[in-house]
Amino acid sequence: MIRKQVKSNVVDFSVKRRMPISPTTPVLDAEYWAAQIDEVARLRDPAGFMRIYDHFAPRLSRYLLGLTKSQEVTDELVQEAMLRVWTRAGSYDAARSNVVTWIFRIARNLYIDRVRNEPNWCAINEGIQYLDEMQTRFGMSTTESFNDELILQNAINALPALEARLVRMSYLEAKSHSELAKELGMPLGSVKTVLRRAFIKLQFAMRNR
Amino acid sequence: MKPTHHLDITSLMSHSAGGMPSAFAIVAATHLSLCPHCRLELDHADRIGGVLLDKQEPAMLRAGAREMILDRIKSLSLEQPEIHAQDVCDLDALPLPLRPYFGETYSQLAWRFVAPGIHRATTHEAVAGGDLMLLRVAPGKSIPEHTHGGNEMTCILRGAYDDLLGHFGPGDLADLDGETFHQPVTSPGGPCICVAATDAPLRFKGWFARTLQPLFGL
Repeated sequence: MIRKQVKSNVVDFSVKRRMPISPTTPVLDAEYWAAQIDEVARLRDPAGFMRIYDHFAPRLSRYLLGLTKSQEVTDELVQEAMLRVWTRAGSYDAARSNVVTWIFRIARNLYIDRVRNEPNWCAINEGIQYLDEMQTRFGMSTTESFNDELILQNAINALPALEARLVRMSYLEAKSHSELAKELGMPLGSVKTVLRRAFIKLQFAMRNR
Repeated sequence: MKPTHHLDITSLMSHSAGGMPSAFAIVAATHLSLCPHCRLELDHADRIGGVLLDKQEPAMLRAGAREMILDRIKSLSLEQPEIHAQDVCDLDALPLPLRPYFGETYSQLAWRFVAPGIHRATTHEAVAGGDLMLLRVAPGKSIPEHTHGGNEMTCILRGAYDDLLGHFGPGDLADLDGETFHQPVTSPGGPCICVAATDAPLRFKGWFARTLQPLFGL
């Protein structure tokens, strides 16, 4: 895969120095995908879109299978999520969120919309996102920079085993916390305490970048 | 006015992960539509989801899926999502996330009598994962001390109430689990209107309040 040169005005030098750059450095990945989406929006180039598809569709498939437990529903939702990436590429804003966050939201909302049968969910969330956009426009909200993804990824890797496990189960199986408690034979209060502790650590990493 | 009582962090994660039962997710979305602080927190929670998604082991796709999507995108052009912006100037408009379930405006709500000073409006269609309702409580009214034996999530839309957890005004969210006994007393002035989700019937403390329970039917 040929990686396009993109302007790296977001990554500061000290980060580059600490993290030796290899082709799989998430900082570059984040920039690369943002540039790809931007190109899809401007040029409507199917080849560019298929590069995005080849990376994200298999990951979406694994993620959605974990939520839906149905291969058939998963195949449909993966297609639909990717079609949305194609038709909504113009509303992706690289200053506000990284591509992985954007695609995660698309897939999560589609899952709630279709599988949990809340046909209003995508519209409601787009309305809330719009409020956020207004906030950003008036400088009231933080933005996500490309190296945030790397920082967060490292922070997730640094979580103690139980915290990491509960965070993963919570996101990748979309179970309610009562369901997690039952499955792990833990009191609900403990599940919440562990998740709260994990979130505070991850948020600390995101805020003190 | 900015809300001062927020979603619990664990609720935010659950909402972000798509694991929150619908009735509760709708109350959470109502608060989010009114609270910049929680929108920022939710953004952080969504980023965690994004990183976890990206780190997923790639799975095999259905045979022909690639050709199919390549074929389908050819006929699809860019679209602008239709954004239903919240009109903050229209005081009669319900918060955006509630409209699909209760209608567009406060004035067209069908309030039904529950007990003296207390009215309730239900959703047009049943919502999964709990009971979702709007409550209108007259000013200066006390609701008997109760717990839910389950979870309760309430977002204040108009008016205010006080309980042992503090003062709750418009936009504030009470995110309670089954351990909390509380006895909200509505503030003087106008009625207090809130949207509430519960996943178990209320349990009142004391025999007198318990005899009222069938009246509430909550």
